[in-house]
Formats: sequence, C-alpha cells, structure tokens
Amino acid sequence: MKKLIFKSSLYLFLLLITLEVLVRVFYLGKDNPTRLLDEHKVEKWKPNQHGYSVTGNRKQNFSEFNINSSGFNSYREFNPKHGKIEVALVGDSFIEGFHQHYYNSIGKKIEKFIPEIEIYEYGYAGYDFADQLHLIHSYQKDFDLIDHVILGIKFSNDLERDTYEVVTSRLALESPLNKTLKKSKLLVYCSSIGVLDPPQIFIRKAINLFRPKQKKELVNNHITPKDKEELERKYLANFEHLVTKYGYDKKRFTLLLDTRITPTLFLSYLKENEYSYIDFSSSFTSSDQPTTLIYDRHWNNHGRELIANVISEHIQKKRLISQQFICDF
Amino acid sequence: MLFNSISFFIFLPIVFILYWFVFSKKTSFQNAFILIASYVFYALWDWRFLFLILASTLVDYFMGQLIFKSPSGKRRKTWLWISILFNIGLLGFFKYYNFFVESWIDLLNTVGYPITNTWTLQIILPVGISFYTFQTMSYSLDIYYNRLTPTKNFISFATFVGFFPQLVAGPIERASNLLTQLSKKRNFDYRQCTDGLKLILWGLFKKVAIADAIAPIVDDIFANYTDHPASTLILGVCLFSFQVYGDFSGYSDIAIGTSKMLGIELMSNFKFPTFSRNVAEYWQRWHISLSTWFRHYLYIPLGGSRGSKLSSVRNICIIFIVSGFWHGANWTFIAWGAIHALFYIPVFLMGKNRIYMNNVVAENRMLPSLKEVLQIISTFILVTFSRIFFRSESITDAWGYLKRIFSDFSFEQYHHPLGYRMIDYFILLGIFILYEFRIRRDERSPFKFKSRIVRFAAYTLVILSMLLFFDDTTDRSFIYFQF
Repeated sequence: MKKLIFKSSLYLFLLLITLEVLVRVFYLGKDNPTRLLDEHKVEKWKPNQHGYSVTGNRKQNFSEFNINSSGFNSYREFNPKHGKIEVALVGDSFIEGFHQHYYNSIGKKIEKFIPEIEIYEYGYAGYDFADQLHLIHSYQKDFDLIDHVILGIKFSNDLERDTYEVVTSRLALESPLNKTLKKSKLLVYCSSIGVLDPPQIFIRKAINLFRPKQKKELVNNHITPKDKEELERKYLANFEHLVTKYGYDKKRFTLLLDTRITPTLFLSYLKENEYSYIDFSSSFTSSDQPTTLIYDRHWNNHGRELIANVISEHIQKKRLISQQFICDF
Repeated sequence: MLFNSISFFIFLPIVFILYWFVFSKKTSFQNAFILIASYVFYALWDWRFLFLILASTLVDYFMGQLIFKSPSGKRRKTWLWISILFNIGLLGFFKYYNFFVESWIDLLNTVGYPITNTWTLQIILPVGISFYTFQTMSYSLDIYYNRLTPTKNFISFATFVGFFPQLVAGPIERASNLLTQLSKKRNFDYRQCTDGLKLILWGLFKKVAIADAIAPIVDDIFANYTDHPASTLILGVCLFSFQVYGDFSGYSDIAIGTSKMLGIELMSNFKFPTFSRNVAEYWQRWHISLSTWFRHYLYIPLGGSRGSKLSSVRNICIIFIVSGFWHGANWTFIAWGAIHALFYIPVFLMGKNRIYMNNVVAENRMLPSLKEVLQIISTFILVTFSRIFFRSESITDAWGYLKRIFSDFSFEQYHHPLGYRMIDYFILLGIFILYEFRIRRDERSPFKFKSRIVRFAAYTLVILSMLLFFDDTTDRSFIYFQF
C-alpha cells in the first residue's frame, strides 16, 4: 500500500508537470493581463502588456492582444491632439476585442476605410454605460481633444446602475491567490474549458451544507409586461441620471446600438432629446453571412467589418473629415 | 453517481481507503462495507429505488434456497418461475408497461377501434434495473440447473446483487464468478490495484475523449437528419458507432478497474469488437456479459443449435429480438435486434459462427491481411447500418434516415455545431483505432509497454487528449444507463 501511495503521488506530480509544460508549449491556455484601478478609480488593464487570448479547447480561437500605455487593447497609442481627427470607441468586450488580433480590430478596419483618421478603442470587458461615462469624465482633458466619441450600448445590460462604483468582484480576480493560481497555465486552461466547473460547484454545495439555512424566497421568474415596462423605465431613469452626473456632449457623442433589441421607449426618448445613435441592426439583418463567432456571441471578422462600415458611414455623414480622405467602402 | 463525475472521484478514494485500512480484517466486514458503499452509491441517484434492489435481492436469495432444497423437479420449477416472474415483472412494469399500452392502443386505432390513451403512467426507469434483475435471475437459474450451490450468507448475496462498480450498467455478472470471490477474503495486491487504475484511466479516455467529444456531432446529425446530405448521415452513424462503443466499453473498463482496486475481478464485457471479422465474432466481443447471458439462459434452454437448422434459426431470431427488446421499450430496438439476427443467420448457416472464437485478427502478425481488413470493414458497415435503428427515436425516423442515404446521395462538407475543426476528430479516431489494434490481444492491459518512459508518455497523451476534447456542453451520463 505504501508503494502504491508513493508511486501514485509521484506519477501524479510528474503528470501535472508534464501537462503544464505541454499546455505552455502548445499555448493552450490564455494569458491573463493584469487589471488596474487607476488614480481616477477607472478600471482598466495595466499598461504595456502583451499576450495571447485563447478560446475553447484546441485553440479554437487564438489571437494576440496588446495593451497600450493607456491600458486598453489597441495597436496604437492614444495621443489626441488638435489638428488631427480622432474618434474614440468606448465599450465593452465587443470593442475591446480580445477574440481578434489587435491589428484586425474594428478601429483598424475603420482606419483602413478612412486613412486620415485615428481610432482610439477604449474597450474593456464588462464596461457598462456608467463605466463608459465615468471613464470619459475622468479623462475629460483627453476626451475634449477627441473629435468624436462613439459609445456602445446594450439597453438590457448596460443601464443597470445609475451611478459609477468600482466593481469589486472583477477586481477580486486580481487577489494574490487568483494571481498565483493563474500562473499555472494548466489550471487556466482547465478552468477555461469547464473542467473545473464540477469541482467548484461541488465545493460550493459542500460549503452551503454547513451554512445556516436561509428561508427560501419565492422567486417568480415570469416577467409580466408590466414588470418589463417598469424595468425599462428604471433603465431610462438610470441613463438620464448618468448623463446628468457625468456629462454628455450631444454634438460629439453618438451611441452605437442594435435597434432590434432596444425598446421603443428608449429609442423614442433618444430621438425626442436629440441623442444621435448608430443603428447596426439593418446591416446585420441583411448580411448573408454569420456575424458572430460560433463558440461565443462576440462579432466575428465579418461582423466587425459591418460595424466598421456603419461607423465609417456615420463619420462620413457627420462630415468630420473632408470627402477626399474617404476611401471607397 | 456517474463514474465521470467529481462525486465519484471523491467517493472512490474514500471507499478504497476505508475498505483496505478499516474493513479489511474479515470477509464479512469487507462485504458489509461494500454493500453500504453500494447502497450509498445508488441512493445518491434516487434512494427510493433501493427498495427495488432490496426486494429483488430478498426474492432471489430465498428462491435460491428453496430451489436448492426442493427435492422434486416440479417444486424447483415453481420457485424458479416465482423468481423469474418477479424480476421480469419489475422490468415489465418499470420499463415496458407504457410501451405495451401504447402499442396496444396504436394497434386498436389502426384496425378501426379508436381509443383514447388514459392508461400510460409517469414512470421513472430505475437506473440499472435491466442489469441487476438479470444478474439475480442468473443466480436462481444457475441453482436450478445445478451449476451453483446457494449461499447462506445474505450480506454476501446482497453485495453480489448491489456491487456498485457494476450495479447500474454491468457487466452482468454470474454468481459463479462474483459471489465466489465475495465469499473469500480479499487481500491487497499492488499489481491488481495499479492494473485497475490503468483501466479506469483508459475507460475515462474512451468516455471523455471519444464518446462525449463525438456526442454533439451525432446528436446534431440525428436530430436534424432531414437537413443533412447523405454523406453527413453516413458520417453521423459511423461516429455513433464509435460513440456508443467508447461510452459503454469506457464504462465497463471503469467498472472492471474499480473492482480490481477492491480486489475483485469482473468478467470482460468488450474485446475490441471494432476488429470483428464477421457478425458472429462481433457478438463474441460486444457486450459479452449480456450475449453470454442470453446464450446460457435463453438460447441453450430453447435448444440452442442442437436441433434442426430451422429450430436453430428460430432460436437465433428469438435471442436477437429479445436482446434488442432488452435494450429499450421501443420498436427501434426490436428492429435492431431483428437486423442482427438477419446478419447472423447466414454466418451460422455457413458454419462460420465459431471460427474466430479463440483468436484475434492478425493473431501472430503485426498487420492484418487484406482479407481481414475487408472482413473488418464489411462487419463494421453491417453493424453501423443497424445502429441507425438503435439511435433513432422511432422507426419512422430510422426509415427516413435510411431513405435519405439511399435515395438522394450527395456530398457536402460537415461543420461541427460548436465550430470545432472536424479534422481533429478524424485524427483522434484514427489514432484510437490504431492504438486499440495494437493492444487487441489483451483488453485488460491498455498500457502494456515495457519501457516506463513510453508508458508514462501514453498516460500523458491520454490525459492530454481528454483535456483537448473535453466538452462541457455534453450530457455526461452514460448511454447504457437508460437501458
């Protein structure tokens, strides 16, 4: 029995080491850039990081990312100045684009359409409207130099809060324990493909067994039209509050949204109050090719191409730049 | 509790440690502990159905005693029939009741007597019922045929019926093998234990990297067969062949490996059926514990092949159709069994049903001959063809699937529903087939390498493959649990 325990432990140890090496050699596990909460309490990536984002088993999606000195994934540095034309894209993971090579981002595609323009991509996974406006507010000096700002918004997700607060759960991912665990690429890989979900659920269940039982509240998952209306009104109120609190330049700012999933209440409000928006729904609906990745809901290359296209058209319409700079698209 | 679940990987080491460190002094302690562990194992799925196992155990324990003690043949037969009727009754109620009611109503509706169905019941099929009822029946039958002396030790018998590694999906053990081992004290054997661990690893590989990885493709093709071209439908059924093999043989390997860790040897259930040279050999290598059960307890009592050719053919038809029906209460399984009977009968009539009994393909060679390759391919095609019925939800679906293959053949590249590269799966299956061919002589030693380094490399590759092909979107339960 002693021999069995000794040899099993030895084999297990050697297997883990070998697997760790293999996962690193074949680059199966993704690199996790470090998060940062800056002096303005803006959450972003620690500047000047470089690595690879991997999705799924067997490197189903493999792309390189580059965190610039501003703390966002982009091939370029953000250096707004008078005399240049800059457009900022502010949004969540769709703008951040870890699922694509950083040289193949929406910003880069727009720059290909309009070569004389610089696109600054302020994308960060999980950013909602409060994050976005707080970022702009905190870096007002920079943003005042930027000619146009486009803010990605999904009504059902991005307006849950009426004020900005640091999302501690996201920053908890930077705890010393998490950082240490992330050093093992094998662990990162196993976690990303779901191998660690069952043990995690099991541990959670086991812990709950020893916790005092709380009275279960009856939760009605059915959302009535009245509930929906109330929620929409609440989100709209949040929008108004955020805009009032952090400021919103209607002349320079434009929302990027999908009218297929945006309530009429919000769209009417935007029109009535002269908030401009770019609607990408029609170009997505008329596309004969899929616009999202198969394994996750982010835009694929074609989807990003369409987004770049509608944004470029918008810039053209806004006549931010003289017609001579615009390429055919 | 599933063998591929985290609960099992906590449960097994606890059982292992307690079994060898705390309860190893006496046979009775060992058996009592295994019995408790087995009931816990089963109760974690649904404790209410433990009473069924207990009832089946009690009935066959006492019927076994009564059959043995009865002097007259008539009495013995009565006790035997009580045992058989009880077990078949359990199966009939839980597994076949709704099927019979629905089939009867369909028949009446077809002949012009429309009836509204109000008799079907919402019945949960108790996991493993088809396996443990057959196992307990074999005990009574063996005593009846004077092949076995009944045990007086109820705990040993209850352990034989409820032995957790093989309780829910076999192998369907015989008392002569398992109960005999349970009657003796087991001593820790390092070699046996490590062999068990290796089999568990190999079984997990077959389940996780082969069966579960292929499952989303097969599910997609069978669920949407009307949208796919013939080439995809052929691919779907071929992959299903590997899925069901990986799933069930993987389960059996884990069951055998787990038993080995507890010092108990279970019978082999699979001996590389992919390399069968005819359908008869296939049945000597596929689900061996069930096919031998039917041979011993149905085919031979019916007369086997001792009578005329006609009666032998009749007996073959009976065992294949019953075997199909054992798999599930659906006409698709009966059709599957009948198709296998049709494939088997010509082999039997040509007297070639036993020619490959004691040898494997390329017995003393490294590579198979061209003839053997052709035989293997043709057997695979036949067996795979029958699986269309095995996998389809209904006869109509199976027929529709077949019709699309034969009436409108077209080729189109298939894309994985989750966006993975299909080539990865073909490479994996190719390597798997070649590896199984290499180890074809011994189903119990999947890592038989002299060099320790090569062996270690094989373990690493197997685990790496599991990590590469792990799919958390798949339902991870075993296919044969539904039977």
